[in-house]
Amino acid sequence: MATKRVAICAVAQHKNGSDLWHKRFQGMLLDVLEELQAQTGFTFDEETGVNTIVSCSDDFFDARTISDNGVADVLGAQYRGEEKIAQEGLNAVGYAQAVILSGYADLVLVMGHCKESQSESRRMIANMGFDPFYGRAVGLDNLNAAALQARAYMKKAGLTEEHLAGIVVRTRQFAARNPYANAREIVEAGKVIASPQLCDPIRQLHAYPVSDGAVGMLLASEERAAEFTDRPVWIAGFANCMDSYFLGDRDLTANFALKQAAGRAYRKAGIADPRKEIDLVEVMDAYAYQQPLWIEGLGLCGDGEGARFLDQGGQEKYRVNLSGGMLAGNPVIIAGLYRAAEAALQLRGEAGERQAPDLKRAVAHSTTGAAGQFHSVLILER
Amino acid sequence: MTEYFGTTVADIFATMPKRFKPEEAKEVDIAIGYEATGEGGGKWKATIKHGTLKVETVDGDLTGCKTTIHTDAETFVGVTLGKIGALDALSSQKLRVAGDPKFLMLLLPKIFTPYAAPEKKPVSVTARDIITTIAERFRPEKAEGVAMTIGYDLTGEGGGRWTIVIRDGKCAVRGGLADPLTVKMTMEAKTYAGMMLGTIEAVTAFTSGQVKIEGDMAAAGATAKFFRKYVVPGATEAEELISLRVTNAIEQRFATGPVMGHWFAGLREKKFLANRCPKCGRTQIPPREICAWCRVRVHEFVEVGPKGVVTHFDIVYFASPDPLTGAVRDTPYATAYVVFDGSTEREAVTMDLKKEDIPRLKEGARVRPVWAEVTTGSSRDLIGVALDEQEESL
Amino acid sequence: MKKHAKNGNVAIIGIGQTSFSSHKEDQNQVEMVQEAVINALADAGLKIGDIDCIVHGNMELFEMQFAPDLWHSLGTGAYGKDEYRITTGGTTGATLVCAADNLVASGLYGTVLAIGMEKLQEGNTTGGITNMADPLWFRNLQTGALTGTTSDGACAMIFTSEEKVKQGTKNPPVWIRDHIQVHREETIPNLFGFNKPEMTHHCAARTLFARNGIQDPVAYFDVFEMYDPSAWWAVDWLREFFLLKGDEHLRMLEAGDFDLDGRIPINPSGGVIASNPIGATAMLRPAEAALQIRGDAGGHQIKKEVRHALASGFGGTFWTVLMILEKELNWQEVNHD
Repeated sequence: MATKRVAICAVAQHKNGSDLWHKRFQGMLLDVLEELQAQTGFTFDEETGVNTIVSCSDDFFDARTISDNGVADVLGAQYRGEEKIAQEGLNAVGYAQAVILSGYADLVLVMGHCKESQSESRRMIANMGFDPFYGRAVGLDNLNAAALQARAYMKKAGLTEEHLAGIVVRTRQFAARNPYANAREIVEAGKVIASPQLCDPIRQLHAYPVSDGAVGMLLASEERAAEFTDRPVWIAGFANCMDSYFLGDRDLTANFALKQAAGRAYRKAGIADPRKEIDLVEVMDAYAYQQPLWIEGLGLCGDGEGARFLDQGGQEKYRVNLSGGMLAGNPVIIAGLYRAAEAALQLRGEAGERQAPDLKRAVAHSTTGAAGQFHSVLILER
Repeated sequence: MTEYFGTTVADIFATMPKRFKPEEAKEVDIAIGYEATGEGGGKWKATIKHGTLKVETVDGDLTGCKTTIHTDAETFVGVTLGKIGALDALSSQKLRVAGDPKFLMLLLPKIFTPYAAPEKKPVSVTARDIITTIAERFRPEKAEGVAMTIGYDLTGEGGGRWTIVIRDGKCAVRGGLADPLTVKMTMEAKTYAGMMLGTIEAVTAFTSGQVKIEGDMAAAGATAKFFRKYVVPGATEAEELISLRVTNAIEQRFATGPVMGHWFAGLREKKFLANRCPKCGRTQIPPREICAWCRVRVHEFVEVGPKGVVTHFDIVYFASPDPLTGAVRDTPYATAYVVFDGSTEREAVTMDLKKEDIPRLKEGARVRPVWAEVTTGSSRDLIGVALDEQEESL
Repeated sequence: MKKHAKNGNVAIIGIGQTSFSSHKEDQNQVEMVQEAVINALADAGLKIGDIDCIVHGNMELFEMQFAPDLWHSLGTGAYGKDEYRITTGGTTGATLVCAADNLVASGLYGTVLAIGMEKLQEGNTTGGITNMADPLWFRNLQTGALTGTTSDGACAMIFTSEEKVKQGTKNPPVWIRDHIQVHREETIPNLFGFNKPEMTHHCAARTLFARNGIQDPVAYFDVFEMYDPSAWWAVDWLREFFLLKGDEHLRMLEAGDFDLDGRIPINPSGGVIASNPIGATAMLRPAEAALQIRGDAGGHQIKKEVRHALASGFGGTFWTVLMILEKELNWQEVNHD
């Protein structure tokens, strides 16, 4: 009988830090692996254990051709199958789901790592994501591309400095309750507004800090999930979408790709009205302005209504980023995986001091590329 | 002589004196031998001494040459013209260098300007050749609803008088000038041919009075779009291909972590510290956090070596650049797989072998480490290994 | 041994390649990718709108292009679609085929296009390979592991479900019966000690054949497209892939068994020694094997009918991918409710 559903059976996170100089990422992944095994007791047995690992890392950030090669041992991949989803952690969960639904595996280990602090500058890496002829030459990177989007969106949605400061203040309040978060110090709105401009209108405290981290999950088919957990979290739907490459070809505030991805994910999950059926949201807010923008894209408020969403308590209604979000600091390529980890922990009732009550269904979101060229949406349910 | 890429090997040597830069070769004292095999090949010797150059053909052996280059004639021409990558040719062994290839690759571009193939004579095309193909090049989709007759009075060699009739999506060329004409253009036949071939700019020809227009000026300007561009039979259209050359570098600071850190601390003390799997007993060099086979964390360190046995080796003739420094090392050099005394039998380690020892290197040879004068706790502390004379003499 | 069980059958219905050359200055990366995609769509008789999902792979540091699928989307046609970027080094192209197989078999996507590319000319390949080694230890020792020819090129393949195949395909479908990937730790030297572990190739072949009930692979398969980075490895690996003992593979080689008109022809395409655009190379193996099954390999079509083909990928530190392609749906293990 073909399996119909895939469960997240366990989640393990390495604490995010701005400069984990004392640890190789191999050691960070090993901590995560051991914690997953401790939670579930899974093995790598050829008959009954994990035979497929889906990893997420990136050659540029690791400064290694074939970044998964350097971690194959600590992923448990010795004489096992391993596939690396490059640079997009949430896609690793989506792909792992497909591997199980295909029948090729009934258990998949998902493991992501990245140390942004290893490189001289993450912005230099992002710059190399642009075409070598035009985008790089004009000095584009994720920050200044985001600033173009921020300016356009603030105008469209009536988003003010105070709104942005409010997002950061709230982020830190939740991050303080998340032992895995990076930036956990409480800040006042005045400090946010007084923080220096990185790229107008994005201020230093509007941007996520340089972060190192590692995160893992065990996924299982419906038939096997009970062997590893009594609190499975089910993948109800996953989809992603690519937007145009050139910034000038896009309406930066239209959320084209996110709306497509969310629409497809909702359809798979049988969600007709996300505003009524979603209880918790983790969005990948690399910059403060992105939190309401992606909320619009997920259809939790109307186009251009992001500021009103904030004013009317939308963040609490939909439990937006109780982990502290990406603003509290996750490495960019696995920030989506951290979003999914938090959503799963919340649904399992294991989110500690930041636990929200009465959860049935949650959304984890991730984005890659300049000003959100690519978006992934994962729907989880209890 | 056989041509490759439109050039012969002899062409390249014949132009060598012209391309020589004596001021760059003042310090140079070298004789380079060239052997190009196959059709159009031969042997040459270039002697460069204190700013002078002598190029000669050689019949017998290439004697007295410090460096010799061996290749087939086609590869030689291809590499010279940049049609074949020098590194590709070297790595595929189509081009072999006896001596120091790195030295040559640095020296030659310095003391010679690059060889440029002589310009080919343009294929001679007359105005008649071009105008008589005009009906074939007609684009009816661009001339919808157009009805006009265009007269050409082309003077001089290859000229004549023609009328082009465009009507009902069709185009015909007739000899002589019809009456009436929508527009009549008078010019020298060579001006018309030049404009069509792109060697004369049309706007300049019109504004400078080389083209005389009678009748509807606008119609004269519009005609170009009704026809596809004329292409000389057998010619390939040259395009300007621009490559962007960039060196990308992002500085890194790699963490060693406690396990790898222990290994480097050992190197500083001139010790090989492997770590031993608690389950299978495997000794790992360099030590890693986990034993991949047993999937257990490894804590125990044991000292192995310092001597060991060569299990396999290779000798490198084509060295790749060191990605950390960009330096290309001297060749040949040997890479030996060494199992250190006290290591488990699978755990070979890659080691550079002292160059002078290469001739005596064999599988099963005993080796000892060669340490840097100052050890600081990095992989550079260990220069490599050398054959262990003490044990050799036993 | 786990039984091989797929939840949906998957067929290769389109194959597109660019030419492979060490010099492709006439195309940028996007244009080269697009050429392969257009060729694959034409081969399948499809339009880009028929594709539900794109899978992209190459090796970032060879072109020094971070997250290259974002820029390449101009050529892959990913705009508005689902997309995954999956890379595993030299095996990337073969992993992309496995991934497309998984994505279609999962029922999540109907038709998937996979694209593998490399424009090695745009970077220092040997430097890229050397960057593979641990920066702390092995990099200063490792020399270029790259063998084969430095090449630019791309390969695209289109995969679809059994349901869609039943609605008709332009060319005969080629079925992916099963695939396996075997990775291992990052060190190579410990394969060259006094005694050697089972080779990954052997492990992959042993497992794959057992779960598909293939007792005698030499007799079963009609052609093998092998990732052969060098001539000496190719010979040695035949023993591992066909589970042969001692020097049986050498005796078969001498008897002409691997010749193009032999018992089990190897690499009628010319193999990796002929061209090696790394991100595409391992995809070219199943692509060429599929063309042999279709009878569309043109000048290098082997004479005998090809019904069962084997294809392999190689990369990393002796990572291997092995897959079985079939002319007919000749196995029964598909799960149906």
